[in-house]
Amino acid sequence: MIDPDAELVRSAGAGDAHAAEALVRRHLPRMVGLARRMLNDAVEAEDVAQEVFLRVWREAPRWRPGLAKFETWMHRVALNLCYDRLRRRREKPDADAGLSVADPTPLASDAWLARQRAAKVQAALAALPDRQRAAIALVHFQDMSNIAAAEMLDVSVEALESLLARGRRALKAALADVAQDLLGDADGAARM
Amino acid sequence: MDRNRFELLLDAYGADMRRWPANERAAAASFAAQEGAAEALLEARQLDAALDAVLGQEAPSSELSARILARRPQGWPLDRRALMALAACAVLGLLLGFGGGQLAPAPDNQGAAFFAMAFEAPPAFAIEDEG
Repeated sequence: MIDPDAELVRSAGAGDAHAAEALVRRHLPRMVGLARRMLNDAVEAEDVAQEVFLRVWREAPRWRPGLAKFETWMHRVALNLCYDRLRRRREKPDADAGLSVADPTPLASDAWLARQRAAKVQAALAALPDRQRAAIALVHFQDMSNIAAAEMLDVSVEALESLLARGRRALKAALADVAQDLLGDADGAARM
Repeated sequence: MDRNRFELLLDAYGADMRRWPANERAAAASFAAQEGAAEALLEARQLDAALDAVLGQEAPSSELSARILARRPQGWPLDRRALMALAACAVLGLLLGFGGGQLAPAPDNQGAAFFAMAFEAPPAFAIEDEG
């Protein structure tokens, strides 16, 4: 198994600033994206991404390639941190959770529409069971292969497909209007 | 590839076959072409487009990168240690040089006179010896 990150991790662990920067550049946006999909909260997502990298820095000096790909390990750490936060949320619900604050700045209609759509998609994702949301986050948003995603979730490929299919069916029902709007816009633009 | 498997793959991975299992893509593509799965593909494509509406909103802040990098491992490779040891020796040598110079007594005229006397015959001593 060739791990494209192995050399960078080794160098970063030995104190190489350039290697550390390269790891952050390569993986930070994906860690933030995954956490954001899982938590639907930009601030918490950045906290999770930071925590993932602090663990990376701690493990890098003694990282041994071959046990698991570094990227797989990072995704597992990020998912576990997200699961912990989601569990704490359920145990200690926040009265303000889910309430959106009205944006006082008027936006151009396209930008406003895009934000509305994104908020609706995020809300539909947030309503899924954690494992289904994680499966969709990995395969659709992180572009992981089915084998890599199954490994990150510690399930078989068949179980991954079941999680994905159940999650996407629920999203299809919740987002039917958004989906039709989007393809309607695209068709209209194509005809012009 | 039969209809059940095709529909499960479509439900699971969406309409973009680059996300499908690599070993089933070709069979699924030819199944889609032959069996006329246009409607199911359209529905899956709609959902893909809806999900993509949240893409591009997660660019991390530059402050986050800076915070993370500020806590990266500060390794001390061997060659850097050796350089630091050499630099420490140089500094210590300089300090001893200056400090030692300050501690030594300053030369004075009396010392110079005693130095000159050592090379001259002292007549007073000779007279005492003779007397």
